[in-house]
Amino acid sequence: MASPAALDTTIAVVTPENIAFDYQLAGPFRRLPAYLIDLGVRWGVIIIVVICLSVAGLLASFSGSSSFVIASGFILYFLISWFYGTVLETYFNGRTIGKWACGIRVIDTDGRPISGKRAMLRNLLRIADLAPPVVISSFANEAFPIYVPTGMVGLLTMVCTRRMQRLGDLAAGTMVIVDERGWRLPVAKVDDPRVPALASFFPGDYRVSRSMAKALAIYAERRHYLTPARRREIARHLAIPLIDRFEFRADIDPDLLMYALYYQVYLSDPSDEIADLGPLAGFSPLRRDQNKPQGLVGDTANPISPAVNGPPPGTASVRPTPGSESHVPDTSLLGKPLPRPQTGVSQPKGEQPPNSLQAVPRREEQR
Amino acid sequence: MNVAKLLEKRRVQWSELERLCDAMEMRGRTDKSGFKHHQGAQGIARFSTLYRAACADLALADTYQLPPGTVTYLHRLVARAHNQLYRANKFEPQSWSTIIFETAPQQIFSDPCVRVATIVFFGLFALAMYLGRNDTLIPGFADRMVGTEQLSQLEDAYEAPLAGSLDHYVSMSGFYIMHNTGIGLRCFAYGILLIPCLISLAYNALALGTMFGYMARPDVVGGDNFFEFVTAHGPFELTAIALAAAAGLRIGIGLFYTGGLARTESIRVNALKAVPVMAASALLFTLAAFTEGFISPSPLPYVIKAVWSVFSSGLISFYIVVLGFPREAGEFASQLQAGEPTDAA
Repeated sequence: MASPAALDTTIAVVTPENIAFDYQLAGPFRRLPAYLIDLGVRWGVIIIVVICLSVAGLLASFSGSSSFVIASGFILYFLISWFYGTVLETYFNGRTIGKWACGIRVIDTDGRPISGKRAMLRNLLRIADLAPPVVISSFANEAFPIYVPTGMVGLLTMVCTRRMQRLGDLAAGTMVIVDERGWRLPVAKVDDPRVPALASFFPGDYRVSRSMAKALAIYAERRHYLTPARRREIARHLAIPLIDRFEFRADIDPDLLMYALYYQVYLSDPSDEIADLGPLAGFSPLRRDQNKPQGLVGDTANPISPAVNGPPPGTASVRPTPGSESHVPDTSLLGKPLPRPQTGVSQPKGEQPPNSLQAVPRREEQR
Repeated sequence: MNVAKLLEKRRVQWSELERLCDAMEMRGRTDKSGFKHHQGAQGIARFSTLYRAACADLALADTYQLPPGTVTYLHRLVARAHNQLYRANKFEPQSWSTIIFETAPQQIFSDPCVRVATIVFFGLFALAMYLGRNDTLIPGFADRMVGTEQLSQLEDAYEAPLAGSLDHYVSMSGFYIMHNTGIGLRCFAYGILLIPCLISLAYNALALGTMFGYMARPDVVGGDNFFEFVTAHGPFELTAIALAAAAGLRIGIGLFYTGGLARTESIRVNALKAVPVMAASALLFTLAAFTEGFISPSPLPYVIKAVWSVFSSGLISFYIVVLGFPREAGEFASQLQAGEPTDAA
């Protein structure tokens, strides 16, 4: 097994409620736009203050108190340029305007909110993180050289530390995390009628392992972004052992099998009535039923075998099936005579082992 | 019960918690969530109930075999609610007097970094002053150190005797607060990198010292006016620069003298130690700025400025030595006081 800590930019935090939850850390490329926005806001505020003060200075010059306006201008400039981040982070729960716009937040490394002292430290030390400054020589004039901070020190420490902290964060014991809003609760919906049908062929006492459940959920979330061929290719790795274990037909669509297992694990209810299988009733995906007359075998349609675009690798039988997989059941099964009408629970006649849910585990014991 | 039904059931509460979070993120209150039972204290109680429920869901997520997407969602929901429940500590102005008058002087007195910074600063300052005054030792030292142009500008500035109106004083003290405290804060920030801080400190010491030495030459016009100007605010300002650098060095030194801690942990501990020193330095910068704005350029008699200078030096000495002297007995008493409630509890 791999090491327990995920190789990820998340950090676990234990709350006073004794719950551990994960924060996603914000890297340099989320924090840079936030800094630039803050820089713009800061200068915007300074310019507005200067305009207001110059208006006030004009008014005050008649009463002879313009010097106070100038002095307060200097002091305000000083306070805004040095303590903008400190005050905002303290009073807005670890966020400045730029951080709010970029959806990030500063918190303590223990997951607690930031305190005023820590906010001050990390904001004062930003100067050191922006080091070393370079002088742009083409615009430079002797009196006013233009310094451009490169931020190499901060970038280097962010790369080197586990929590992606810059020097100011290290000194203050803080970290910047992603504080996303507007997410959706992902619940995959199953609208393919073949899925519950196939799911009813899994034995009722079959319980998937945790890692399998996780893999199934991830697969169900992602499969919409994949082409059918790619789905089959990915699903095959897990499907082949399942096909062997439950003795399904070898030409079963691996994607459909995984999706059915997902349905079985997450969506179906054991107490539910067996779903109305409609035209699919009577079709068995099991290998031992493969040679029985089902009205489908030897036909051009097999509803659960992979759809048309070439035979799936690893399947022996090559059956040309028309249409894409989504409308295979509709086109090929409607109106067909079904010689052995049965549902999942009905007992078939003859010596065939029952096609019901209890059948398969018993045969597994025999193996 | 299957997972989908479980999720549907829990989802009602989760979305209620989300709406509460929305409301709290905007205003810090639960009133605007749109539900009637979220007003005031009731809303906060409801919020914490829902938060604990979400925590419990997250804790049981593994047992319920929730899909990973839902677990991610729960992590975010709990994190978001956690950020609203445990909000940032505001500044505590009532603790500032303790920091300025107890923690800071004790830290300054016992910190070797303060000694190093002071020796570097005042040592180089005295050396540069001596070399700037005496042109025969290293000929042209002052011109090369500060620049001929700046020196002549300096001479011109102090040719006329000091006189200024109140208007001028007020605006200049504002400028000095901005400019000099800015230099101090920059020195402090670069302290974590050690070398830029030392370079900045040494440069300030050499440049200032050379100017002082140059103006002290007998053949320079305006020397008397210059010293009349700098006498009053000198003690505050020079000490403040040295202290700012010392606070910065404290953080940088933490990288090397870890005292058995991990390096990052050591930086953190030392940075928290440096904050009171920096606060004291900022206070001195402000005092220096007002002195420099109001007393230094005024046409007051020199005696008053000299007395102010002596007084301010005494004040700094009192602050560092008397307030900062390590007091074991006092500490012991305060420890006892602090210990009693815990024993009772």
